[in-house]
Amino acid sequence: MKTSKIRIKVNGEWHELTVPNQKTLLDVIRGDVHLTGTKRMCDSGECGSCTVIMDGKAVNSCIVLAVEANGKEINTIEGLSQIGKLHPIQEEFVAKGAIQCGFCTPGMILTAKALLDQKPDPTAQEVKTAIAGNLCRCTGYVRIVNAILSAAERLRSIQP
Amino acid sequence: MENFEYFEPKTVREAVRLLVKYKRAAKLLAGGTDLMLGMKEGFVKPKYLINLKTIKGLDKIAYSKKDGLRIGSLTTWADILASGAILEHYPILREAASLIGGHQIRNRGTIGGNICHASPSADSAPALMVYGAQCIISGPRRERVIPIEEIFSGVQKTSLKPGEILTGFRIPPPDPKAKGCYLKFSPRKAMDLPIVGVGAMVRTSNGTFEEVKIALGAVAPTPIRARRAERFLVGKPVSDQSIRQAAEEAVNESNPITDLRASREYRLGLVRELTCQAITRSL
Repeated sequence: MKTSKIRIKVNGEWHELTVPNQKTLLDVIRGDVHLTGTKRMCDSGECGSCTVIMDGKAVNSCIVLAVEANGKEINTIEGLSQIGKLHPIQEEFVAKGAIQCGFCTPGMILTAKALLDQKPDPTAQEVKTAIAGNLCRCTGYVRIVNAILSAAERLRSIQP
Repeated sequence: MENFEYFEPKTVREAVRLLVKYKRAAKLLAGGTDLMLGMKEGFVKPKYLINLKTIKGLDKIAYSKKDGLRIGSLTTWADILASGAILEHYPILREAASLIGGHQIRNRGTIGGNICHASPSADSAPALMVYGAQCIISGPRRERVIPIEEIFSGVQKTSLKPGEILTGFRIPPPDPKAKGCYLKFSPRKAMDLPIVGVGAMVRTSNGTFEEVKIALGAVAPTPIRARRAERFLVGKPVSDQSIRQAAEEAVNESNPITDLRASREYRLGLVRELTCQAITRSL
């Protein structure tokens, strides 16, 4: 079994791991770092439930090898809230009824975060384009788009 | 996925050496949006995986008025969409990039990977073709440059020789009098392959077609130029009739298959319709 030693920074904390080369970043997040907020569904980069933010960019962690993430900063859904207080994006998802079964939610929220970090004032169309890689079987997306727009407004009002 | 030995070369020369050493048992890794799927399904089982992203300088975009565009093969779709030079001077390529995958895929997928995976439906191919792009290839011998059309040799097959790596593309300065577009027909607005893709670039003068380029994706074993349609239009008046006749030529040059996405007949109909639309939008 050919393995590699990697260091990844997950939600601000460095982890040193030895992984088989074929392990994906998703495998490592869930299995080695034990953060199960990031979900596995299609395992092929189609559904977005495995979305994490890697070096500032939203990616499907199921098609990133753990070795490719060596030295990189990873943000998972667990890293979004601060000491028991939800991030405004999370609060708006709750407030706007954008969560039903909750399975798509972590990926959806991280995609929203990546969008709003780049574009603090997106149009509804820009939001839809941004979440095109995140499937939701429950909500019909309307409340999700509203939640993201409403979170954007809240985040803009916090910045001076 | 099966286990493999993993390499992070720092230079193209190092990567070439690895490819030459391990031959068919080695695979190159760019964005991984196609390769990882193949490896998970067991279609591809490399014993040696060579990560190209660790080579500095393969993801640069450089534009000059005199020389046009140099774009590294490891440039991601997100990088292409963020490029001011491509926005201003190569909008057809930008249009193609915006239609690929979704946000997460565009952060990883690369233009070189798209071309080297060599799907007949590769979205960047028609755009690169109508821009007259050239492929820059490094290998065990000296660097060579070939027109984009020549890199495709079959379904998911390139003409790259053993040990060769596509390092980038050269696109000549755009014709300021020409306009073009890329039309992609797919059931979903994102995360989908084209059932048919049409790229066009057109220059007219005094109501006559002066220069025409038409490229088609997903209607042949490789992306193709519709050269008979192009030659037909040059010198013809700009009219619905000449455009429709050109589209008919494009249909005759197409040879699509029937697969789970569409029948051959449907694809031929799309070629007819989309070629008309693409030319019209480029006027």
